[in-house]
Amino acid sequence: MDYAHSVFDAWLAGGEIPYDWLIPLLHQYGDSREVFDRFVIRKAPMEDMIPAKCRKKLTELSADGPMQTCETLMEKHGISSMTILDEDYPACLRELSDPPGILFYTGDLSCLLRRKRVSMVGSRTASYLGLRAARTIARDLSKNGVVIVSGLACGIDAECHRGCLEGGSPTIAVLGCGLDQDYPQENEPLKKDILSRNGLLLSEYAPGIKPLGHHFPYRNRIISGLSEILILMEAKLRSGSMTTVTHALKQGKEVYAYPGDPVSPMSEANRTLLREGAGYFTTAKDILEDMNWLDNQPLVGQNIGCSAPEEPADSTEAAVYNALLKGNLGFDELLQTTKLIPSELLSTLTVMQIKNKIEALPGKRYALRQSSSC
Amino acid sequence: MGTEGMMARIYSMGVNGTEGYPVQVEVFAVGGIPGTEIIGLPDTSVRESRDRVNAAIINSGIELLPRRITINLAPADLKKEGPSFDLPIAVGVLIATRGLIPAEGFEFGKTVFFGELSLDGKIRAVNGALPMVISAKERGFQTVVLPEENAKEASCIEGLRILPVSTLKEVIHYIDGSEIPVPQRQMTYEELNRENIITVDMCQIRGQKAARRAMEVAAAGGHNMLMIGVPGSGKTMLARCLPGILPPLTFEESLETTRIHSICGRLSPGSGLMITRPFSAPHHSASVASLIGGGQNAKPGEVSLAHNGVLFLDELPEFSRAALEALRQPLEDGIVSVSRIRHQAQYQSSFMLIAAMNPCPCGYYGSTSRACRCTKNEIRKYLDRVSGPLLDRIDLQIEVDAVPVQEINDSLPAESSATVAARVAAARRVQQERYRNEEFYTNAQLNNAAIRKYCRLSADAETLLNAAVEAMHMSMRGYNRVLKVARTIADLDGEDIISSSHAAEAVQYRELDQKYWR
Repeated sequence: MDYAHSVFDAWLAGGEIPYDWLIPLLHQYGDSREVFDRFVIRKAPMEDMIPAKCRKKLTELSADGPMQTCETLMEKHGISSMTILDEDYPACLRELSDPPGILFYTGDLSCLLRRKRVSMVGSRTASYLGLRAARTIARDLSKNGVVIVSGLACGIDAECHRGCLEGGSPTIAVLGCGLDQDYPQENEPLKKDILSRNGLLLSEYAPGIKPLGHHFPYRNRIISGLSEILILMEAKLRSGSMTTVTHALKQGKEVYAYPGDPVSPMSEANRTLLREGAGYFTTAKDILEDMNWLDNQPLVGQNIGCSAPEEPADSTEAAVYNALLKGNLGFDELLQTTKLIPSELLSTLTVMQIKNKIEALPGKRYALRQSSSC
Repeated sequence: MGTEGMMARIYSMGVNGTEGYPVQVEVFAVGGIPGTEIIGLPDTSVRESRDRVNAAIINSGIELLPRRITINLAPADLKKEGPSFDLPIAVGVLIATRGLIPAEGFEFGKTVFFGELSLDGKIRAVNGALPMVISAKERGFQTVVLPEENAKEASCIEGLRILPVSTLKEVIHYIDGSEIPVPQRQMTYEELNRENIITVDMCQIRGQKAARRAMEVAAAGGHNMLMIGVPGSGKTMLARCLPGILPPLTFEESLETTRIHSICGRLSPGSGLMITRPFSAPHHSASVASLIGGGQNAKPGEVSLAHNGVLFLDELPEFSRAALEALRQPLEDGIVSVSRIRHQAQYQSSFMLIAAMNPCPCGYYGSTSRACRCTKNEIRKYLDRVSGPLLDRIDLQIEVDAVPVQEINDSLPAESSATVAARVAAARRVQQERYRNEEFYTNAQLNNAAIRKYCRLSADAETLLNAAVEAMHMSMRGYNRVLKVARTIADLDGEDIISSSHAAEAVQYRELDQKYWR
């Protein structure tokens, strides 16, 4: 049987063998083609330190059919692979206690060589403010040469990738399923964007493997493992993003939490983390400073200095502006503070929206727009 | 006792669609094997009247001679239904069997009888009294004998003698000339119109200033409105206020609406013409037929019951797709055509649509107090249930947020419905004056050509709207809708040219579809 290296990798990874069997196996045999040769063709494994259970599992792994499908899938989607023994394999993952033995990827591996990498995670059902903040911060970081690592989920993850692409740096997405899967479906266009801008899609799951629930918390260790620093944008206390935080802490990474809305239940986990000593930041500049990534270069990005929006001239607009300075407000609260009549306030809000000074949030609430729209 | 037959012909009325039509009740009694037969396409309720009539006559103290009785309801090709033929049948039977000798010169040809009999001879109210009386007048009848409980409903029709009766005995005395019932006093509509009964007053609503204002605009221009908000934000309460701030029904409108309610039996006994605009709130499990009208013998649906009033659809996305799509015709034309194999009917249904929905399946998207647990996909699926074409017919969309507790306790009393209604009425007068030569009479009904003609913008309003179109990715349709709403806001202000603040406010009632449906 003659297949490319990567197809044998896919065969081996398809067995979902635990890392503490897989890595010694690779070390002993050198690559997965050799493993295949020993276990499937010659059916004569060396008497060695591979546990009997593992040997049994390997000999039982069906071969030919799946390998053909794998080959077509990998060709169709341009999927390549590497093992922990390869030189390309990211060094930071090698240091993990449970590194992925085999990694599949599509896209440009060179973004793994960039020094400045930040992992950003957050809830799939995030608040509007959280989504906006994620995009802005990712964009400003990206403008200053930072590669953003995230999980390509809907919500915060997707916004982080988008922000990064807008800022001009490549972005890395770590998936919890085979790279051929259309998951999550609504982020398919985003996947294409990531690949077209020299980004990278990574997964430890072989092509054809479905996005199963238990993959994702486990995958999260790769997201946190790929950077020095993890940013939690917005999460509820019991949330998948918190497993990433746990992994990051275990791996000895810096964890930052975005403060978010102090009363919103959507950023409960952020508040808890901040109380427990997570890094506090509000702008990309804070992160760059803390990481010593400023490189004496001028900062790029308008939000970088946290400039407050300029004060409007018109008196009713000023009233609305001053009311919103204290935080986002509902329509009735705005009426009470500004003492305007409803029709007056409604038209002022439109004017300010058009001038891009404020934005409307769901639930008839309004917030000042930070002058960061680029 | 001879064997030659005796014939009686009594006039009554039936209802087809929303129109009454004359029915001749012919009764022929002849010697032979005693029995009664009803012909002329009677349905079960008409066929059963045989037994009711029999018992009612006996209990009115008249002994019936044993006769072979044939009752024909002409025209014989229309299906007759309902118990309203009881009374004319009883009168016919009494005359044909000579149980009752009519007074000299009694004009059966100019008198209409209808009413349901109970076994003891009392006369019960029937459905559809108003359309029957109206067409009795149109056909040149002079007198209508009807159940007492239906009298007030018919009291506004001029040029007819309305004789309310409560027992069969009274009818017998009337026909034999011994005692003529007191005719129903003619009432003018203004007389009935003294009190506009407001069930929910605007002053009971705390907070919700934006929604209140939107309601006022909607009422003033007759615009359809959609409210989106978390559960418990008061959407239903707001909607219920609407009939109270709309101008009261005009006489013609009241006739149209009462007629439909009369046919469906929705009028409370003893009530007259409807004064307050109807408020119809079908549950979201409603079928297409119950919403639009139809059924085996076509009946008006909820959209027609809301004619000249308010149709409130709570939980809009939970309505079946078919039901929502079926709303498009009445929203467009103000009329529904129901076609069945045996029946074809058109019902008027020009109503204001007020819809309410949650922002997402769990209801808490965007809420500040509770976390929403819906995924983006779930939210999109939920919102997609409301189709674009339906949404296109809704001029105002407004978000309703839950009122914070401190505001509920806020002691400042809000404006009452009467105050708001006065402003709405003024704005409606402006529109009536402006559109006196047109076929429409509210801003909501403006078509594209009329929008260009009547929605004149000031220069800065135009600049502002163009900027809004740019900034909010508004479609041409959305733009036209903003113009219509801006027209109404300007009318509320009593201004002829739409200023920039009017336009800016109107934009606020559109940005919702930016946020949710983009």
